[in-house]
Amino acid sequence: MAIIETKQLTKHYILGKKKVVVGLENVDLEINQGEIFGILGPNGSGKTTCLKLLLGILFPTSGEANIMGKPPYDIEMKQHVGFLPENPYYYDYLNGPELLRFYASLYSMDSDKADKRIEELLELVELKDAKRLALRHYSKGMLERIGLAASLINDPEILILDEPTTGLDPIGCRDTRNLLLRLKEQGKTILLSSHFLSEVERVCDRIAIFHRGHLLATGTLDGLNKQYQAENLEDLFVKTICAFDTEFAAKTGERK
Amino acid sequence: MKKMWLIGVNTFRESIRKKTLYIILIFALIVIGASKLFSFLTAEEELKMIKDVSFSAIEFFGALIAIFASLAAISTEIERRTIYTLLTKPIRRSDFVIGKFFGVSMIIFVNFILATAFFIGLLIFKKSPPNMDVFKTLLLIFFELILIGGITLALGTFTSDAFNIICSFFLYIVGHLTSYGKQLIERTENIIVKGLADMLYTLVPNYENFNIRDKIVVGLNVSWGYVGYTIAYGILYMCVALFIALYFFEKREI
Ligand SMILES: Nc1ncnc2c1ncn2[C@@H]1O[C@H](COP(=O)(O)OP(=O)(O)O)[C@@H](O)[C@H]1O
Ligand SMILES: [Mg+2]
Repeated sequence: MAIIETKQLTKHYILGKKKVVVGLENVDLEINQGEIFGILGPNGSGKTTCLKLLLGILFPTSGEANIMGKPPYDIEMKQHVGFLPENPYYYDYLNGPELLRFYASLYSMDSDKADKRIEELLELVELKDAKRLALRHYSKGMLERIGLAASLINDPEILILDEPTTGLDPIGCRDTRNLLLRLKEQGKTILLSSHFLSEVERVCDRIAIFHRGHLLATGTLDGLNKQYQAENLEDLFVKTICAFDTEFAAKTGERK
Repeated sequence: MKKMWLIGVNTFRESIRKKTLYIILIFALIVIGASKLFSFLTAEEELKMIKDVSFSAIEFFGALIAIFASLAAISTEIERRTIYTLLTKPIRRSDFVIGKFFGVSMIIFVNFILATAFFIGLLIFKKSPPNMDVFKTLLLIFFELILIGGITLALGTFTSDAFNIICSFFLYIVGHLTSYGKQLIERTENIIVKGLADMLYTLVPNYENFNIRDKIVVGLNVSWGYVGYTIAYGILYMCVALFIALYFFEKREI
């Protein structure tokens, strides 16, 4: 059974009387328990829009999104979900442990358990030495790492990560990758978005390719490569996107 | 309930760490302190002066603090995108709005108390400990400040930072001119203008109601009935503002 699901999920951003930007168009996704699922797409393809709709930060124009069979506003469901936003911003007047403690309290964790968890997480993301440093003095990579720790504070069943490796150096990327694989071994479900093909290639069980708000292809990497007669992910990526653009150009050409 | 409290406390902590509000508070203290420099006045006149200036300073700088604290509470949280990490936690949007209102009220309260303590200290130093009238004036100023905060908070749920600041200050000024407005309305003949003006008069928060310092300073009496009525007006108006905030924030996309 799918643990995360979207049905004909559509988001149009209304900017003016006649100006509408398509964020997402009729997207059907099913993400299974225990897998790492990657949403792949160029900038502006609707990855962030899709994740925000799932989490109830945006509301769909039509269609629906569910996590564990619950709608995005469900409080009980959020108890089991962790989220890392794109280029995360945090309360920069707090230090690492204070930030994590604040989030832990919002999950109603009791303070002994929270303290233990915070120690573990700071160890895990290697920010133990920066305990007293306010977040406004953090580097981009450190922010990304504290963000990862924050998204894990409640030991979530489902982890949703928007471009988790954007600000990281190669070693940070590798560590994150290993962490994700370890979490998968623990039975967690991970949904991530990325425009780094190699990252996705190495960790994801299944992928979806987004472009201009449309879902172009979804499946296992091997399956998709066969289906599109592609040699590797890059080839697949370029093929599906070019095919869509040609079709798109033809359609809009007709209309003119 | 617990979560509203947590959000409120975090908001309060932010105001302490960020220190921007201290500057406003320090200004208030300087102005209050300066009011006793008028030593060429007779003792009685000097006391009037201290009260007049101090009440005005507590009210005006308090209003600045209320507006800037409320602005930071919602508009800035949205603009800086820290809100993503909050609203994806198991909290309701209503918890967020009411929690922020708690937090802002705490900020207003603490700053108000600090400025007031300084003022009362000054009165005691001048051998004129505060009486009931001083207390009434301060009480109404406090409720005015809470109302100002609530309104800026409500505006923040559906406007941008810049628009919110302009609106809040506009309401602050117009809300203090309502008694002039009332006189103008009574003199107009045109029914449509009169109707519109009447409507505006009812909609704009009547901050001037909370101002009894002019009377108190010259020794006029203000009844507890009036104080109670005005506080009730403030609370009612604030509830409406909060409902508006809850309504708009429930639907807000971020
Ligand atoms: N708040 C918004 N208002 C208007 N358009 C938006 C908004 N957010 C995103 N978009 C548009 O929606 C499309 C998808 O954006 P996004 O989901 O952020 O893409 P991605 O995360 O894949 O880079 C883009 O064309 C973007 O310009
Ligand atoms: Mg994005």
